[in-house]
Amino acid sequence: MERNQMRRQLALMRQSFFDQGFLDEQFIQLEELQDDANPNFVEEVVTLYYRDSSRLILNIDQALERNPLDFNKLDNYMHQFKGSSTSIGAKKVKAECTQFREYCKAGNSEGCMRTFQQLKKEYAILKRKLEAYFQQARQAGPLETACRSRN
Amino acid sequence: MGAEVDHVSPMGMSGGSAEVNDKSEGLRFSCKNKLTALVVDNGGVCRVIQTALLRSYGVETEAVETGEAAVELIASGATFNLIIIEMLLPVLNGPETARQIRAMGAQSKILGITAFFDERDQQEFLAAGADEFIEKPLSLEIVIPIIRELDN
Repeated sequence: MERNQMRRQLALMRQSFFDQGFLDEQFIQLEELQDDANPNFVEEVVTLYYRDSSRLILNIDQALERNPLDFNKLDNYMHQFKGSSTSIGAKKVKAECTQFREYCKAGNSEGCMRTFQQLKKEYAILKRKLEAYFQQARQAGPLETACRSRN
Repeated sequence: MGAEVDHVSPMGMSGGSAEVNDKSEGLRFSCKNKLTALVVDNGGVCRVIQTALLRSYGVETEAVETGEAAVELIASGATFNLIIIEMLLPVLNGPETARQIRAMGAQSKILGITAFFDERDQQEFLAAGADEFIEKPLSLEIVIPIIRELDN
């Protein structure tokens, strides 16, 4: 596929992430930190996020199997999860984290479990989208990093 | 035209909301003086991002995973203009870390940071000696004024 066409598709893909609420401005913050010294910063951070989070998810899954639930422990796990999700701009995942925490505070086991299933779904969807995005970006070839122009 | 900066992606598309495009402060600057910062966070992603953000403004930044490591660093004589401490750290939590750092006479600006804003946490952190308490993410709106203030 012609390179310009690939790049246009890539741009549309990226824009759809914002339009559909998967990512927020914080992701743009990451893009702005990417430069010649850190040419793969965004992908590296996202990769780190998925690596670290997979451990957290495992911990939360295990914690959710206990009876009764240790809401304090769950809250602590979710605290870290929300922190990192927020930091990469994972908007929908972040919303589920907040919802989960509400159920924790209310001591609502059912709510926690339901919300966590939803969270994992959003998390997986975003992961697929970002993986496809980075893969296409690599195929489209090296791009100039995000630049700022003054009007 | 004015100081307004238009954020343009490689694809030639404007990114994000009006808020982002309105960042007149968004233009990258490097601080005049040598500023140093310490990031204290048990989450790798947050450490990496906060460190990169500060460094992009010319702030020499280190990062540690625990409150104990931060206290040790400062006890060994290291000084920092800015210390950013996560609320929920294992063992020595954020406020306790701040308390111990202040007890050693550190004059740094201490910024408490958390994933979920909570008034009690805020009170605890401020009482322990933090100057400010914010919810993640560490945004430009927060960072830039702080760097400017420290630089002057």
